[in-house]
Amino acid sequence: MTSTVDTARSAGTPPPAARPGARRRARRPLSETALPYLMLAPAVVVMLALLAWPALQVLAISFRKLDLGELVRGEIKWVGFDNYTSILTDPEFWVIGLRTLLFTITVVLATLLLGLGIAVLMRHLSGWVRGVLQVCLVLAWATPIIATTTVFQWIFDQQYGILNKTLVLIGFDSFKGYSWFTSGTSTLAVIGLLVIWQAVPFIAFTLYAGLVNTPSDLYEAAAIDGASGWSAFRAVSWPSVRPLLTLVTFLSVLWDFKVFTQVWAIRQGGPDGESTTLPVLLYLRGIAASHFGVSAAVAVLMLVVLVAVTWRYMRLLVRSPETEL
Amino acid sequence: MLHKSPAQRVALAVFGLVLAGFFLFPTYWMFTTALKTPAQILSPAYDLVPLSATLKNFVNAITKPGFTTFLTNSLTVTLGAVAFALVAGLLAAVPLARLRFRGRKGFIMLVLVAQLAPLEALFVPMYLIMRDADLLNSLWGLLLVYVAFTLPFTVWTLRGFVKGIPIELEEAAMVDGCGRWGVFTRVTLPLLGPGLVATSVFSFITAWNEFLYALVFMREKDKQTLPVWLSSFKTAFGTDWGGIMAASVIYAIPALIFFLLVQRKLVSGSTAGAVKG
Repeated sequence: MTSTVDTARSAGTPPPAARPGARRRARRPLSETALPYLMLAPAVVVMLALLAWPALQVLAISFRKLDLGELVRGEIKWVGFDNYTSILTDPEFWVIGLRTLLFTITVVLATLLLGLGIAVLMRHLSGWVRGVLQVCLVLAWATPIIATTTVFQWIFDQQYGILNKTLVLIGFDSFKGYSWFTSGTSTLAVIGLLVIWQAVPFIAFTLYAGLVNTPSDLYEAAAIDGASGWSAFRAVSWPSVRPLLTLVTFLSVLWDFKVFTQVWAIRQGGPDGESTTLPVLLYLRGIAASHFGVSAAVAVLMLVVLVAVTWRYMRLLVRSPETEL
Repeated sequence: MLHKSPAQRVALAVFGLVLAGFFLFPTYWMFTTALKTPAQILSPAYDLVPLSATLKNFVNAITKPGFTTFLTNSLTVTLGAVAFALVAGLLAAVPLARLRFRGRKGFIMLVLVAQLAPLEALFVPMYLIMRDADLLNSLWGLLLVYVAFTLPFTVWTLRGFVKGIPIELEEAAMVDGCGRWGVFTRVTLPLLGPGLVATSVFSFITAWNEFLYALVFMREKDKQTLPVWLSSFKTAFGTDWGGIMAASVIYAIPALIFFLLVQRKLVSGSTAGAVKG
């Protein structure tokens, strides 16, 4: 840690000689060459042992027949692409996959629109209203997932839920005793609302921070030039928010595509499997039914979809000058 | 653009408060339901504001056997994971942002790809690793799992924040006679405040919320955590909404306290550093 600043300076500022050439680097003492690796070591060890290694094993397991019997006996039975064939030829998989994609797209879009709207709104609110809104957002964000999920079940309860009571009170008598969980679509709608409710605070605060960091004289300059409202937003706010918006879109896609706890807790993928998404399928095939090979194949397929969806952005991230020194 | 008529200002304020209400309501409803008696909960009356309150649900929840053990376990694992992830993440973020070395890009790629994996998928290999390392039923094992889950995001975000600190500031401090350690503790670390808050919030949520691994890895009763405790409520009490809500409130309170403590930094900083060069 102690020599960080020294090395950082030699790397970060243009040195007298145009680039620190190989000759100079070779003369660096060993302790300095080893330093970055020593600092990375704890993170690398944990990530390799508990993420990369299990991930490789999942890949290997996806080519094996691994049920409870094989697991207990420690038997290794290779079956080639059997697990993949059995999944990909199962029409249910395609239905579930499509459902998961639609769910993800809807939830991500709604979260981003609401988050961006709230971020912009916070800039325009007077002090105390903004304070109240921020505290409420923080409370929503902090409430643990399982607690929130339980409350949503209670709010949407068929008989005593406050939502149905409210709807009846304002005149929609048909909602007396109405069950929100009889169809997959309405079950997923409730789950979507729950996920959005939990995800918006993070998005809103991130984007708000981007907006606040925009120098205010830019807005004044825009105002002098006659820009107002929408055009000022486009000219001034948008450039500073856009990279953040891309980042939170990336994160939201990752998180919403993999949502499991909420879907499982609400109806275990029911009624009749109609709200089952890919992570739930993964759980059902794997931990619930002990077909770990099949389950691993589902995981690999999920990963393929995610990589396909986010590939361009990841390449952008790795190649951008921002990851350079 | 920032000058508005009074009518506009009122309209905006009303809109803001309606949104605030939308985000507050479930938490509010959790608290108020927890304060109701079974009779009140199942009454057909429309009772958005509770007229009387009872603490019985809370007393029942807290006096359930093992509560303090679950609470201690959850706090230990969560705070331990947050601390570990922060230290390991910061140690990795500094060279990634400031130093030139072989394998840097490869590591960045690893950090990015690691965030794609569905965590439920890693379950079986993870279980076997923990079994072979004799870390099942160990708080250390669970803690390490949570650190692994949160490290990619932590490293990535902190790297952005470190990059965001102008190197001139650190140099100026050196010129003023600060040692290297002094520069780090007096200049770099304070400027990293919002980044540290954003990432610790993330690891806190991940560890505090995690249910599946905690359920299966911790078979011994005295090693279990609060999410597992909360789920045990559901079966034990059936539809005793008051009891479940009280347990949820108790489960939520440490998280609420943690968030409110860091709120100001959270609002100002968030993950802005993650994309600022």
